[in-house]
Amino acid sequence: MSLIDNLLNLLSYQPDSPMLFSSGLFWGLFLVFLPVYAMLRNRHWQMVIFIVLFSLFFYYKSSGWFFLLLLFTSTVDWLLSRRLATAKSRGTRRLIVAVSITLSLSVLGYFKYANFFLWNWNQMVQGNFQPLDIILPVGISFYTFQSISYIVDVYRGSVKPTETWVEYLFFLSFFPALVAGPIVRADYFIPQIREHHKSTHAEVFAGFWMIVLGVVKKALIADYISQYNDLIFDNPTGYTGFESLMGVVGYTMQIYCDFSGYSDMAIGLALIMGFRLTPNFDFPYQSKSLTEFWRRWHISLSSWLRDYVYIPLGGNRKGTLRTYVNNFLTMLIGGLWHGAAWKFVFWGAMHGVGLAVNKACRPFTKRFDGKWWFNVVAWSITIVYVSLLWVFFRADSWTDSWLIIKNIFTNFSPDHIIPFIKVRYVWLIMMCVIIGSHALPRGFYDWLEDAFVHLRWIFKLLIFLIVVQLVVEFASEDVAPFIYFQF
Amino acid sequence: MNKGYRGLWLLLAIAFVLFTLLSSFGDTDLFGLHLKGSKMADALFADAGNEEKELPADTLEQEVVKPKFPAPLDTAAQTILFVGDSMLDGLSPRLSAYAQQSGHTLYSVIWYSSSTEQWGKSGRLKEYIDQIHPTFIFLCIGSNELMIRDIKEKRTQYVKDLMAEMDSIPFLWIGPPNWREDTGINDMLQSNLPEGSFFLSNGMSFERRKDGAHPTVASAALWMDSVARWMPEHCSHPIRMDFPGDIKARPKRIFIHQPEK
Repeated sequence: MSLIDNLLNLLSYQPDSPMLFSSGLFWGLFLVFLPVYAMLRNRHWQMVIFIVLFSLFFYYKSSGWFFLLLLFTSTVDWLLSRRLATAKSRGTRRLIVAVSITLSLSVLGYFKYANFFLWNWNQMVQGNFQPLDIILPVGISFYTFQSISYIVDVYRGSVKPTETWVEYLFFLSFFPALVAGPIVRADYFIPQIREHHKSTHAEVFAGFWMIVLGVVKKALIADYISQYNDLIFDNPTGYTGFESLMGVVGYTMQIYCDFSGYSDMAIGLALIMGFRLTPNFDFPYQSKSLTEFWRRWHISLSSWLRDYVYIPLGGNRKGTLRTYVNNFLTMLIGGLWHGAAWKFVFWGAMHGVGLAVNKACRPFTKRFDGKWWFNVVAWSITIVYVSLLWVFFRADSWTDSWLIIKNIFTNFSPDHIIPFIKVRYVWLIMMCVIIGSHALPRGFYDWLEDAFVHLRWIFKLLIFLIVVQLVVEFASEDVAPFIYFQF
Repeated sequence: MNKGYRGLWLLLAIAFVLFTLLSSFGDTDLFGLHLKGSKMADALFADAGNEEKELPADTLEQEVVKPKFPAPLDTAAQTILFVGDSMLDGLSPRLSAYAQQSGHTLYSVIWYSSSTEQWGKSGRLKEYIDQIHPTFIFLCIGSNELMIRDIKEKRTQYVKDLMAEMDSIPFLWIGPPNWREDTGINDMLQSNLPEGSFFLSNGMSFERRKDGAHPTVASAALWMDSVARWMPEHCSHPIRMDFPGDIKARPKRIFIHQPEK
């Protein structure tokens, strides 16, 4: 009886433990999902309905009854998109787009930003603030952006509305990308549903390789190094300047491993099923400018912001000053997208300022392109600026952020380096692995993937067993929740 | 199912079964390697109703003479000072969650590798009392003194000094979580501290970190839960300890002191 009870318990909604791709539960469910999917993949509609049902269950496991909200959003969007496709007058078409975007943003605004605005309002009028009891549905920021891009693309004519509601629901709820992206674009993904590519043997194992890589990044490295980083950010004045510096560098790597690892798993899962998601990260910490950083970091979000915010604002078509303002506003929205707090607004604003400065300096720095010393200086400035801004992103408050930064500069002594190395050598090894992985050429990773795909089955099994055992060995007592869930 | 899917499914299934089977044995040794067990078998086969048995035993099950209490519950919001050694790393976040839930304010002072001797000699407790003006004090000192010989002769005075520093402020001393038999620290504390001011942790079962001494974060939280459950009936000055929704919280301020060279 306990097995059945436990299974029922595992399969029901548990608010404190959303289902991660790197969890044993997902592994077990995927074992059931895979053969059914493999059997149905030649029967288009059965395959589509099966994946939709699995995605809805996946969302139920992460967000409970909020999966009904997803159904509601998809129904409204789809009906409006159908109406949009047949509407002739420009006014009606614009009205439909406005209604759809307003609805999407209202739902997002209520769940994500209502308490933030109420808090600020009460600060202004000195009221007695009681936060509303609102639970943020997991992944709402991601699928809201997908829904907006869909309706805008239908309006622009770059995408035809899906023939059926089920296809649109498939696009919106596709479980690999549902709760944490990559943000899937309609013009890229919807044709894939219709043309459904049957993945080859090589693609199946290339997808599996991505998952293994993602597990190493997320469940092994990010979860382990987060334990030390949390100590520093939980107690900004309690550690030496060197320890604080290591905490900042650690968080810089943690957020990359955490998010890119999860994206890798999502991309790998999709590939196994024959769907291609756009890459979300491209060695962002190799960037030699902030502009380049945003072309390599969370690519699906930055390209979404470019296409649906920056360009509609005028992009770079309305003069230099306006370009800077547009950049700034886009990043401000990007910051707010990450969370309902002033620290995210500040983080976005400072990236906006950085981008503007970067663009302003470009005419003067262009002549040094390709020179090694300039590359070193440009890379150093970029990585330091990005890392410092992560402090504001991670710390609980402004005061904590400043305390950590101040601590680095006022409480730094080389005496602390050796004891740190002695005590935190595993943490340092993990950091070296991830920093070192940035230094390797891209071709190496292609070669590695190819080698894995062509490896004998038994060695693939062996690699997987080793990776899982390493995760078990290094698992923190309480697994760090996936950072981007809260956005 | 095509060859690719068949191969992948088989690979995942074999690994899944292997890890589930292995995890039912707990930690295992394989070719001289110590392998940590996963929790997969527990998740599938553990009897959910028996989960409580896995919690650290609280001292009710031990040989504790029931004092004259329960004393009346002090329902006022407290300013709590929590001082001690590295055990606070695990205890403090959980106590903070209790404090937050009950309307108290918590300040934690972690002095790594500290002992009753260092605390008694340094006067550091008095400094923090003067600075923070606590209305209740928790202490967890003694883990670094499990192996001290003649501990009664060597450390009693320091414990008395600490009590003098606390003067009339009510306090609770949480005993060390023994990972081996001690040479008398628990007896010494029990015989010197006033009735209802000492929580005996010895005899409880803990899940330990790799160092074999410190309870894991989860286990330390359960340890603090045991203290909170014990307080209303046994503490000489019980304060509100409402069960928190959050597993951990952050004290208003944490003061850290590195080990003395």
